Amino acid sequence: MESAALMSVANLVKTYGEVRAVDGVSFSVPRAEVFTLLGPNGAGKTTTLEILEGIREADSGEIEVFGRKLRRVDRATKERMGVLLQEGNFEPYLKVREVLRLFASFFRSARSPNEVLREIALEEKAASLVKTLSGGQKQRLAIGVALINDPELVFLDEPTTGLDPQARRNIWSIVSGLTAAGKTIILTTHYMDEAETLSQTVSIMDHGRLIACGTPRELTSSLGQETIVEFVAGERAAGASEALAASCRSVRNEAGLVSVETDDLVATLRRLLDWSREAGVAVADMVVRQPNLEDVFLSLTGRRLRE
Amino acid sequence: MTAILAVARTYVVTACRERETLFWFLVFPLLLLTLLALIFGNIGESGAMTYDIAVVNLDTAPGAAAAAGVVAALGQLSVAEGESRPLFRLHTAAADSDPGTFLAAELDALRIGRRAAVVEIPQGLSASIAAAAHGSVAAELAVRVHKSGGRTSSDMAASIVEDIVAQVDHSLLVRMGLYDEARALRVERLDLGANAETFSYVDFVVPGIAIMGLFVSGLFGVPGTILFGRERKVLRAYWVTPLDVPHYFAGFALGHLAICTIQLVCVWALGRFAFGAHVALFRPLPLLVLLLASVTFLAFGFLVASVARTANGGMALANIVNMPMMFLGGLFYPLGQLPSALRAIMMVNPVTYLGDALRGVTGTAAASFPLGVSLGVAAAWIVVCALVASWRLTWDVGR
Repeated sequence: MESAALMSVANLVKTYGEVRAVDGVSFSVPRAEVFTLLGPNGAGKTTTLEILEGIREADSGEIEVFGRKLRRVDRATKERMGVLLQEGNFEPYLKVREVLRLFASFFRSARSPNEVLREIALEEKAASLVKTLSGGQKQRLAIGVALINDPELVFLDEPTTGLDPQARRNIWSIVSGLTAAGKTIILTTHYMDEAETLSQTVSIMDHGRLIACGTPRELTSSLGQETIVEFVAGERAAGASEALAASCRSVRNEAGLVSVETDDLVATLRRLLDWSREAGVAVADMVVRQPNLEDVFLSLTGRRLRE
Repeated sequence: MTAILAVARTYVVTACRERETLFWFLVFPLLLLTLLALIFGNIGESGAMTYDIAVVNLDTAPGAAAAAGVVAALGQLSVAEGESRPLFRLHTAAADSDPGTFLAAELDALRIGRRAAVVEIPQGLSASIAAAAHGSVAAELAVRVHKSGGRTSSDMAASIVEDIVAQVDHSLLVRMGLYDEARALRVERLDLGANAETFSYVDFVVPGIAIMGLFVSGLFGVPGTILFGRERKVLRAYWVTPLDVPHYFAGFALGHLAICTIQLVCVWALGRFAFGAHVALFRPLPLLVLLLASVTFLAFGFLVASVARTANGGMALANIVNMPMMFLGGLFYPLGQLPSALRAIMMVNPVTYLGDALRGVTGTAAASFPLGVSLGVAAAWIVVCALVASWRLTWDVGR
């Protein structure tokens, strides 16, 4: 019987000098799902991916992929994988279709470049040089290259970093299409909204370790029934934090932006309005919302994802 | 095999599309060939009234009157009179130098257009004339005037020298009261191109430019592609596919050889059709030397790539070694008498041996080194470069 997990790793360790970039990481990637490694820059996401892509070798740990246990990802495994590298590049003086043809030649069997061009919506750029493409178009081409061998497992390492909102949404649309086509995707990102939108499973990484794993809903639910209240109090933020401390689970002041986690929203709002009236301070840009993955990370590490 | 061909095609296509690369591998060699051919190809042809003549006097025995007379007569024409320039600029051997070596060097200079003619006075000439004057036969020995066939300046200088020799002979015999037309001193005109193709300076320089083009392509093309590809993660995108380094390298080398072939054909065609060069590059032995040169400079490029940490560092290093290796390789002019420090560079420079070997096997100049030595030195460079590159070169960005 076929295993539910397409890939699993156990106790993966990679050390650079004194730094343990990957520190005993274990996880399983279910078939036909988007599995996301979420964490800030330097958390060890990319190093983990590079080991799984075959670029680096782990110091220790086990990798099982497509039902085979491997020390290092081999050629046969690469035939069934597609990879979008973080900040990867292609020959700037090749045309888009030529890049796809080149990469198609590396695999025993590959899709037609025209079919892939349609899928990544780059048909009109097929005869353009890579160097003339926009950031979003280059990233779509990179996804096209990752899909040229019709892989079962696709690695997307920070696919939308540095892209504008429209380009990000285009990439998200392609990834959603891949999921619908039954591809298994391992995604890394430091964008909370990307992880929430695309993933079935999210593993949060920090300092080379996995600190939480589950569906986005499971992770946010782990914070309990709390609600987040955020507002801007400028120079009086410290006074506001002090006044609200007694009526909430936690309060943070970040350069005038006050963020309050509370189980009793009514009591917290009442205290806030009382403080505002007594101190004569106008509360600006107030938001009341449910917790997200950013709050989960904050709760687990005391830091924000992009700190 | 498909992957190897695809990588090779990528190498060629990108080289042809990138202006900077295109300049170095194609425009620069063609431009240099054109400039050298225009500047030096017709030395002494137009408007020059002073001919560079070498006089090699091997008849230095005491009382060698005829030899001394020829030298003196030529010397008179090398002295400027009033405002006009002298007819000849004489080049003679230093007192302590070996006349045979001097003659060989001057014949090389004649081949590449730096001399209009070389006058060789054989040993025993004067005695031969004296014996003939008192006997009944013509002198056995002759003054030899070497010229470069096809060059007007060389033909003119040789004719003038012949006239002067005839005058010397005449005055000598008249003074002796023994002048006899039948026994007059003979002059043999020896045309360098008489027994083969007529070689000119362009023929000398085409093999040099061919070697230079291969050198520049390897020196700049390899580190440029590998180091920038590594730094910009172009190569990394290959390593996450089934393509491995040996297959990539095979494709890269094949593409490089294709570029070298395009370059050689263009250089040869320009030399042949624009400047009338006769040099035959596309024969088995020259092709062997050219193939070895391509591989040697490919390996040398990998050596540079393997010792540089960054792409910019690699290009800077290539620039540093480019000039001394190119100009101390004798590609554009003979490396006669270099200072010892520069000579040391010349003697370890693969460019020297490959340029020399190519000229030797194409017959455009006498080789200074045996062919086996030249090919051996190039092979040694390939081995050293391959060893260093396989030890030091990294194909992916490190951490």
